[in-house]
Amino acid sequence: MCVFRDGKVCVPRGGGSEPEWGPRGASLPVGVSAQLTMFRYQSLEDCPLDEDEDAFQTLGEEDEDIDQFNDDTFGAGAIDDDWQEAHERLAELEDKPATARELEDGAVSDEMELLGHHEENLAERLSKLVIENELEDPAIMQAVQTQPPMQQPGGLNSSIWDGSAVLRRFRGPLLTQEMPSVSVLEYAMPQRPPQSQEDDRDLSERALPRRSSSPIIGSPPVRAVPIGTPPKQATVPNFNQQILCPKPVHIRAPMQQRYPSPYGERMSPNQLCNVPAGRMSPSQFARVSGLVCSPLTSMNPKLLQGRVGQMMPPASRFRAFFGAPPPPAPPPSQQQHPLCPGSHLQNLRPHPQVFRPDTTHLHPQHRRLLHQRQQQNRTQHRSLNGSAGDRAGHRSSHHEQLRKDPYANLMLQREKDWVSKIQMMQLQSTDPYLDDFYYQNYFQKLEKVSAAEEMHGDGPKKERTKLITPQVAKLEHAYKPVQFEGSLGKLTVSSVNNPRKMIDAVVTSRSEDDETKEKQVRDKRRQTLVTIEKTYSLLLDVEDYERRYLLSLEGERPALMEERKQKICDMYDNLRGKTPGQERPSDDHFVQIMCIRKGKRMVARILPFLSTEQAADILMATARNLPFLIKKDAQDEVLLCLLRPFSLVLYHLPSGTVTSLLQQLANLPQSATVPAPANLHLAAVLQNKFGLSLLYLVLSRGEELQNSSAAVELMQDNQWTELMSMATRELLRIPEAALAKPVSTPSNLLSLFSRYVDQQKLNVLETKLQLVQGIR
Amino acid sequence: MGVSPPPQPFSRQLFYSFFKSLVGKDVVVELKNDLSICGTLHSVDQYLNIKLTDISVTDPEKYPHIGRLSVKNCFIRGSVVRYVQLPADEVDTQLLQDAARKEALQQKQ
Repeated sequence: MCVFRDGKVCVPRGGGSEPEWGPRGASLPVGVSAQLTMFRYQSLEDCPLDEDEDAFQTLGEEDEDIDQFNDDTFGAGAIDDDWQEAHERLAELEDKPATARELEDGAVSDEMELLGHHEENLAERLSKLVIENELEDPAIMQAVQTQPPMQQPGGLNSSIWDGSAVLRRFRGPLLTQEMPSVSVLEYAMPQRPPQSQEDDRDLSERALPRRSSSPIIGSPPVRAVPIGTPPKQATVPNFNQQILCPKPVHIRAPMQQRYPSPYGERMSPNQLCNVPAGRMSPSQFARVSGLVCSPLTSMNPKLLQGRVGQMMPPASRFRAFFGAPPPPAPPPSQQQHPLCPGSHLQNLRPHPQVFRPDTTHLHPQHRRLLHQRQQQNRTQHRSLNGSAGDRAGHRSSHHEQLRKDPYANLMLQREKDWVSKIQMMQLQSTDPYLDDFYYQNYFQKLEKVSAAEEMHGDGPKKERTKLITPQVAKLEHAYKPVQFEGSLGKLTVSSVNNPRKMIDAVVTSRSEDDETKEKQVRDKRRQTLVTIEKTYSLLLDVEDYERRYLLSLEGERPALMEERKQKICDMYDNLRGKTPGQERPSDDHFVQIMCIRKGKRMVARILPFLSTEQAADILMATARNLPFLIKKDAQDEVLLCLLRPFSLVLYHLPSGTVTSLLQQLANLPQSATVPAPANLHLAAVLQNKFGLSLLYLVLSRGEELQNSSAAVELMQDNQWTELMSMATRELLRIPEAALAKPVSTPSNLLSLFSRYVDQQKLNVLETKLQLVQGIR
Repeated sequence: MGVSPPPQPFSRQLFYSFFKSLVGKDVVVELKNDLSICGTLHSVDQYLNIKLTDISVTDPEKYPHIGRLSVKNCFIRGSVVRYVQLPADEVDTQLLQDAARKEALQQKQ
């Protein structure tokens, strides 16, 4: 107790022993402790700085009470642990690698406790950092082998670090035979007799390796649904039929374990056996694959099976590796898996082991394809794979490597799961259609194709399950650039979310006065390309509208339709060139587009969206310029893609248009003049596959029109008759060798020609053009 | 949270999406060290790391250690891949073009 000059009294808070500056949880430098001392005074004036002797004495006394400041600073959480003790314990453990089970148990469990204690504390704190809603996501959890629903006694609530996995020990039959001699990390390998396999608890990992005193590297994970994960409820019955196999496949006896089956009906016994395959985390996978002839391939089933989570694996990379197709092969309906690791396993085991990775997150079509593939491979492998003699030979070498594996147990299962979860979180998608565009559409198309094929058959053989991709609600993150307190103004840091312009690049368009001809041509082509791309964007948008209709609200739909119409008009304008003048005098723009391969494809895709007049216009322009286009198309041969949309358009055209179309094809001026002996235009058309097919289509349409009731005008139309005679004349004239082979010959051409030519010529035409079915 | 790698923006998910559709198919991966590995595409992730099964080294067996030991699976880090040779009939080029265009649009926005 000291009394100061001004009457204030300071009372040290109870005498303390000499502070231990040694291995203490909280060791404060002297300066800090001195500062803390200062705070105990009421005000600065009270600091007896001028009372030197007294001050020092006080300080000295305060040093003794350093422990009390621990509480002030760190609160009740300060762990009073002795790291030296802990270290000794660990050292002991290493020295006696695997003597007696009980001893080990004791040691390990001590170790466990100590570490578990750490973990729990840290985990508790960390779990508070986790955003709650993300934890609900089942799909991220599927990536993980730990079981979240299980509560630690420490009261960790839905923390990734949950799960007794950490504290479980690895029990494996193979390990009983091997004494880890080399690896420091394997000190804790329990020597369990094989009978213990029948435990129904999940036995996943090995005990904590000595080196890691704190397994928690960072913060825990979150759970969210990655792309492609089907929701639990909706698809359960479907999957039942698709995935599950009738017979359970048993791993060899000593390694058999029971797996919890939280999903009840969903998991067949077979799937249960195979479930672990799906649980492998990438690190495990890497480990397995990284080790040549990995000894772990035999052990890993244990590892995997230990933590049998109930959920389905989230993404492709978690698909397990072991897909051995054993000769007494169980059912085909399981999913992909490669035979390669399988072949390892096959060599190892007396009973064939099958790990069926869970690919339910894949598109059903994809899954089917993989099944088929797997079956094919299976039959191949069956013939290729050796006898049991081979297996025996391999087994010893595998065991050999098993023993020496120095990389085992570098990470806890929890750590692996944590990393997996981080990766899975990144795959959360707010709009799987956009983000995963190619994949989804590809398999949709495949399904359509196979559906079309199957329609001819008995109907769909398999169920049409839809791939349901969960969508996470888009969280609006307003990015707030980091701000430092106390700084004047805002310091902006350039990052991924907040990119800053680093270089002032100014775009200057070159306007050179003396542009050469080639440059002009090149620029023009570039211009066309740009136009094509712009039109393509419009086209993609328009094609998307149907989907958007379904997703939008009622009130928005008229606006959407308007937009769509506008876009279609824009597309058409782009195609034909804007500001047409009076009558679209030049086809030039259109022809330019049509000279480019993707331009042609684009036109083929646009045609269905255009109105009839617009489409007819396009058709006309094409026909008018056909020889030129044919010449340009010689390399690409893409014109044929236009046939189908053209035929659809033709179907809607009135007769007058058809006539003029034919006219265009034959390149006759409006007023029929005396035709030249050889119509080059038409000849060129006939010699080209596309041209000939188009001509046939037009003729066929004309014939249809003639046969219909309103076709009387056509008959009386001089033009049509003339055109027909011209066409037939040309057809007769042209040598058969020069004639192209059309895509399809319409059946009514014969009757068409019969109107205009006599029988003899008709016969000639018949044979030449192979108009009669069956002569091919 | 701890340090986590940045999520792949949509602009980089085209290839991921594309390779996902190729899972189960045979591909040849040519690495930047000129090694070519033929195998079945087992899985791919957002970094385009590739796992192959049933691998074999294509034509010049300059790396016999891979062939002789029964290494049947491999993991290839995405950054070391130079080319991936694909079966042509497994690719829908029109769809791929559309996907690329959409991605370009997204990037502009």
